[in-house]
Amino acid sequence: MNRIIATHNLSKRYGNIDRVKRLHLSVQEGEIYGFLGPNGAGKTTTLKMILGLVKPTEGKVFVFGKELEANRRRILSQIGSLIESPSFYGHLTGLENMRVIQKLRDLPDQNIAEALRIVRLDKHKDKKVEQYSLGMKQRLGIAMALASFPRLLILDEPTNGLDPAGIGEIRELIRSLPQRYEMTVLLSSHLLSEIEQIATSVGIIHDGSMLYQGRMEELFNHHRPAIAFKTTNNRLARELLAQHGLCPALEGDRLVLNNVSDEQVAEANRILVAARMDVLRIEEQTRNLESIFLEMTGRESGLP
Amino acid sequence: MKLAMRNMRTALGLEWYKLRRKRLFGMVLLLMLAEIAWGCTASGMSFSRHPEHAGWEPLLAMFASMNGLFMPIAAAVCVSRICDMEHKGNTWKLLLTLNAGRGALYAAKYVTASIIMTAAVLLQALAIAAFGAVNGLEQPVPLLLLLRFFAGTVLANMAVTAVQQWISLAVPNQAFALALGMIGGFFGIVADLMPRGVRAMLIWSSYTGFSPVTQTFAGETAQFAVRDMGSLLPAMAGVAAAGAVIYLAGCFHVSRREG
Repeated sequence: MNRIIATHNLSKRYGNIDRVKRLHLSVQEGEIYGFLGPNGAGKTTTLKMILGLVKPTEGKVFVFGKELEANRRRILSQIGSLIESPSFYGHLTGLENMRVIQKLRDLPDQNIAEALRIVRLDKHKDKKVEQYSLGMKQRLGIAMALASFPRLLILDEPTNGLDPAGIGEIRELIRSLPQRYEMTVLLSSHLLSEIEQIATSVGIIHDGSMLYQGRMEELFNHHRPAIAFKTTNNRLARELLAQHGLCPALEGDRLVLNNVSDEQVAEANRILVAARMDVLRIEEQTRNLESIFLEMTGRESGLP
Repeated sequence: MKLAMRNMRTALGLEWYKLRRKRLFGMVLLLMLAEIAWGCTASGMSFSRHPEHAGWEPLLAMFASMNGLFMPIAAAVCVSRICDMEHKGNTWKLLLTLNAGRGALYAAKYVTASIIMTAAVLLQALAIAAFGAVNGLEQPVPLLLLLRFFAGTVLANMAVTAVQQWISLAVPNQAFALALGMIGGFFGIVADLMPRGVRAMLIWSSYTGFSPVTQTFAGETAQFAVRDMGSLLPAMAGVAAAGAVIYLAGCFHVSRREG
């Protein structure tokens, strides 16, 4: 598979503050790459450097295998983007805003009609954008990014301002893009459940540094589900397990073992039963992206 | 070169397209009509009181002087309307990601503003000719003087437009740009009262400075004389150079800013 985006040692410093630190970001062709990070982590700055809007302090950006700086014009003509908030001319209609894109990109009329239809703005295309709701403006921003049906689509928080139904629609749309239009999507969002549902790969950035990058399944594999035990005497059970090298955490009325294999779970159960303790429950606590994300960005431990 | 020309054509076409519903032409036209009405009324009253002083020279001197007040404000309004739409909709960033060259975008805005302002001066020149003809000034319409008036005002406008565009694109709050336009208008009208050295540093003084007619006072009587074209050329070249430097500095500054 081709690498669509590759950054090498990408760094951005504002004054004495390192906003992005030696980032190695890699996006493969045809994937939906979810770019996650808390507010101020450096996501938007990274996306802006990939689009040439911000000049890196250090490092290089390669898009479609070519260096951005030297091939900016050719590269940008194949990218659609929505960065931060949607950009638009409020005094123009939705269709006229699309025409601005059409003129700059020299696109056929059918692209404009199709992009407006996809985001369900075709019935509102003759309304001035300043009269649009926040969700409609966001959808127009996505239509503008989609208008050229680019090879690479970069969306920064695309579901901002959308209602739940709108979020679902955009999610389905983004999910369908790689197959329908052979697009690669780089998507940043603070909605972890969104990323979890649509991304095939994920990059987690915190304080300007990449904490994890790889396939979504691998991320979950590296973070095995926690196992909770409920016994008649949790305190004693904890001491017993600790004597055998297992260190459970006492959380409420459960003893929780993190990152343990099936064999270790069976062993823990044998130890407790041998000590004639009643094991009332053994439960698997499924990890979601949010818990992994919080663990990574909060403690920065247990990283693969 | 071919690509640069194509980009420029696209950027220019886009600029005019984006001006839909901005009512920009109406605003500049209104401002010009107000100035023309004021200038014609004042000249008409003066000619009625002193028929012996009726002539094209006082008329041109009157409009050159009023341009010092009106044109900087008209340029500020015009440029501000053209640049403000990019700040309001956060669209500068969008245009850059769409591969529009920063230099071409900057130039397209400047050319658009300059065309509108030039049309305003043309309207003014036609109004002066019509007013003189209707009021029965003895001499025929002095085409050369009108042409010199037109050229001087256009050149002054171009330098002022370069300043206004820099401010309008660099500072999102357009109150600054409009305030600068008003300050420019003030300098434009009082520049003739200032020492020559100070006047030379204020580009807004060019409206009267480039006027083909000079006005002097002998006691309480105003006297008008046609200026020698050659004497104006160095000052015109200086303002043209200053305008070019301001344009390039503005373009460089705005283009280097990160999106």
